[in-house]
Amino acid sequence: MNQYAMVIDLNRCVGCHACALACRAEWQVPVPYHRNWVDRLGPDKTPNGLSYTFWPGLCNHCDHPVCVPVCPVDKVEREFKNPKTGEVKKMMIAATYKDPFTGATLIEKDRCIGCGNCVAACPYGARYLNDKLDEPKADKCTFCVERIAHGEIPACVKTCIVNARIFGDLSDKKSEVYKLVHEKGAKRLSSKEVNIGPNIYYLGKKKDIYLLFEKCAPHKRTWENVKVMNEPSKRDTLLAALKKLPKFI
Amino acid sequence: MKRREFIKLSAAGCAALGAMELQGRGLFRPAVASGATAGATSQGLPGSLGAKEISSVCEMCFWRCPIIGKVKDGKLVKIEGNPKSPSNGVKVCARGNSGVQLVYDPDRVKYPMKRVGARGEGKWAKISWDEALDEIVHNMQNVKKKYGPNALAYFDHGASAEFMRDIFKATGTENYTNEPAFFQCVGPVAIAYLNTAGYLVSGTRQYIDMGNAKAILLVASHIGENIHVSHVQEYMKGLESGAKLVVVDPRFSAPANKADIYLPIRPGTDTALLLSWINYVIQNNLYDKEFVKNHCEGFDKLKESVKPYTFQWAAKICDLKPEDMKKAIDLLAKTRPHVAIHPGRHATWYGRGDVGRHQALSILTALFGAVGVPGGIYFPTPVKKPKAANMGIEVKESEPPVSLKTTYPYASMLGTPTAEIIKATITGKPYPIKLWGINGVNILQTIPNPYDTMDAIKKLDFIFCSEMLPGETAIWSDIILPDTPYLERYDAIYTYEGLTPYMTVRQPVVPPLFEAKSPYWVSHQLAKKFNLSCFPYEKEQDYLNIQLKPMNLTLDKLNAQGGLITFPAKPYRDSKDLKLPTDSGKYELYVEDFAKNKLDPMPKFIATPAAPVGYVRLVYGRMPMHTFSRTMNNLWLHNECPENELWLNDEVASKIGVKDGDTVVIENHAGKQSYPVKVKVTPGIRPDAVYLPHGFGSTSPLLTKAYKKGASDEFLITNYEADPFMGASSHRTDFVRLIKDGKTLNIPEIKPLPPDIPRFEMKKTA
Repeated sequence: MNQYAMVIDLNRCVGCHACALACRAEWQVPVPYHRNWVDRLGPDKTPNGLSYTFWPGLCNHCDHPVCVPVCPVDKVEREFKNPKTGEVKKMMIAATYKDPFTGATLIEKDRCIGCGNCVAACPYGARYLNDKLDEPKADKCTFCVERIAHGEIPACVKTCIVNARIFGDLSDKKSEVYKLVHEKGAKRLSSKEVNIGPNIYYLGKKKDIYLLFEKCAPHKRTWENVKVMNEPSKRDTLLAALKKLPKFI
Repeated sequence: MKRREFIKLSAAGCAALGAMELQGRGLFRPAVASGATAGATSQGLPGSLGAKEISSVCEMCFWRCPIIGKVKDGKLVKIEGNPKSPSNGVKVCARGNSGVQLVYDPDRVKYPMKRVGARGEGKWAKISWDEALDEIVHNMQNVKKKYGPNALAYFDHGASAEFMRDIFKATGTENYTNEPAFFQCVGPVAIAYLNTAGYLVSGTRQYIDMGNAKAILLVASHIGENIHVSHVQEYMKGLESGAKLVVVDPRFSAPANKADIYLPIRPGTDTALLLSWINYVIQNNLYDKEFVKNHCEGFDKLKESVKPYTFQWAAKICDLKPEDMKKAIDLLAKTRPHVAIHPGRHATWYGRGDVGRHQALSILTALFGAVGVPGGIYFPTPVKKPKAANMGIEVKESEPPVSLKTTYPYASMLGTPTAEIIKATITGKPYPIKLWGINGVNILQTIPNPYDTMDAIKKLDFIFCSEMLPGETAIWSDIILPDTPYLERYDAIYTYEGLTPYMTVRQPVVPPLFEAKSPYWVSHQLAKKFNLSCFPYEKEQDYLNIQLKPMNLTLDKLNAQGGLITFPAKPYRDSKDLKLPTDSGKYELYVEDFAKNKLDPMPKFIATPAAPVGYVRLVYGRMPMHTFSRTMNNLWLHNECPENELWLNDEVASKIGVKDGDTVVIENHAGKQSYPVKVKVTPGIRPDAVYLPHGFGSTSPLLTKAYKKGASDEFLITNYEADPFMGASSHRTDFVRLIKDGKTLNIPEIKPLPPDIPRFEMKKTA
């Protein structure tokens, strides 16, 4: 399976927030929500000295995305195409799903009922419920697969003024992300409690990685508190369907 | 040297290098871009894909990166870097990305307005452009008639302000260019390098080749918190290539985190460190003997003058360990000449001694031979800017019996010291000032002691401003003109003289909203009303096309090639070709001209007073998501950072019982209090300083997002000293304590003060 991934190099990152804003502009993400954020960490003491660093965060497109199984929307069959080989695969998916060929965790907006389960499930706070729409929908980073399909790169990568964000396919041994992960030791932001295979990796000095993990590694198994009904609530499904009807005067 | 001789000399030196133009506009107008690319018009593509792309020039800050605006369905949706740009390329910073929300800020000044309430009350009525301009013309003429031309003063910054500067110039006032950017920012560093290296190493730009350096020294420059895209890129290129980084700062800044050696120096003592380094480099023969012999003047005098400055002495003054000081300078010396001694930019810290500090940095650069070589300071490549007729005005300044420009020997370079204008306005001496025009700068959040500035405004017959947003300055104005954001207008051809020279043009990405008008249009109208010969062109495109013609270009042709053309750079010089644009053609380690003006010809350590007992020094700086005080109301940037935090040393915090996240009020030595602000408790700042990011705490209720958010450093700066060279105003000579839950908290002194450093004397309050 292919897996899109991103390495964020904290040695390069100057914490300028351009990534967060290019994403906001590209996808019209309404304030105060975000798909892409920068948290400023420190200066604080670490066992390796003082650290003043950043958490440039986004959806981790996890190997085992806990946001997917909590989606209560009726599953439908969809056909997926491998962008490299053209191979086709059919899969039953709810409104949120993990793409089998890119590893991107995505949302089928038309079918999202805005229940907020996935938002509550994510231990990284990477999703939000866009309540500025006529009907609320979950939203999050897509790794800009829509742009990639048109030969572009993710908006955050494009604007990063110091090239601190490296994007690619982790299954490709020749890719830069592969080298940074497997040879340079870029790290996933995980903990014993929350270890679901995030595909955003961080490189940095020991002290900076220490502070990042101390302040930002998730520990709460947030998805375990999300009540998932086997079937979507009839009411929600009905409401969602009603909202799609043309408006009458 | 006399003021006029100095202008001539500087102009000759700088014109030779294309670094600046002294006539009219120049020092603070850097390079930039323009041009449009015919964008694809495909509909239905996701995100910003398929948008119409128009090339232009950013002005979220003065660095002015070449950009493209992406427009869908007539709406600006996104801004990216111009792919043609050899500097930033497709990249823009947080602020560059957020220019979209400057255009669509609902708080924008939408129409010409006339004050109806009391001055400063913030009540206006909408008027027509014609009426607004007539009011301005009438008042300018009246004041001139009644009090003489010098009763008019103009404060300006940035591209918005440049055309109108000539309208003021035409009145005959000597006060037509008073850049807060010079007198509040780069004045001291500009004067230091102009008189040692002979050219403007640091003004708008810093001609420092960090990308090819093997070591970089930053003295309180916090690159990364202070973002200018190509500058940050060059710094990062240097670090990526293995350059060692030495950072000197009382605060553990973003670059301090990346440093190989970090020196947490006592605030106010940088020059002591630099002088001890110069002495050590000379005594231990670590300097470039060839360079000094062939290209420097005054070495023997310098050698003698720095002798007293030993590591032992400096260590006590600076509160640093001598071994760390030695390690740092050895590291820098080892890499010479490829060592980037960053000249610094914002330099108005303590008044006395500011020029000396940057002169010391300049001297260190010369001793290392880091001049015109990869990794050192380099020479700008002049890019010839074609001219169109009558795009400015030449007039004789009136020479009043006492000129405000002659109070300080090096003031006139950029106009009249702002502090002198404010004083004269309040006192009426040496001559009355009765009218202010303000353009592109929020003077109350920029110039120290805004309380004095407000007092001065109360004495004026008339004050007007041109503004995009109703900040403090607009609140105090009688007439406000609605300025167009940079994305809604043409203005000038911009050139970049750095390592990747280019020429480009600003042009509108979307048409002006509401009744906003471009700065050129306003000046064109004023010129007609004043019957002046300048700015005769109906449309901006007319003069732009004339200016482009000698290059065989038109706006259309330029746009067809992406809106930007590049030129080869010539930043380096062989030793045999090196002639510096000074009187002697050499790097001046001893500045004769300073001596003639009874100023120190070589840097000396002048102790700036330390905090009085119970107080701590207030220092300030930048955050990467904001520009000065201009962006706090921007929807997106406000969301990234709605308010600032006061950095407080952890040990001090525990002694006074303040916790991280607590809310306090900051009170300065004169009893001025800030809005409530959150405290960030951190080991990353010395106990003898607190740090406040600049520009927050707006006092304008018309800025609905920024109003009262965070604390304003400017409103706590009431004590300032004039730099004896050019009358710039110091910004780090104020001291504060905290108020929590109504209780005043004195700051304990954890680092004992050496006897050589005096204390600030508080004024006895009645």
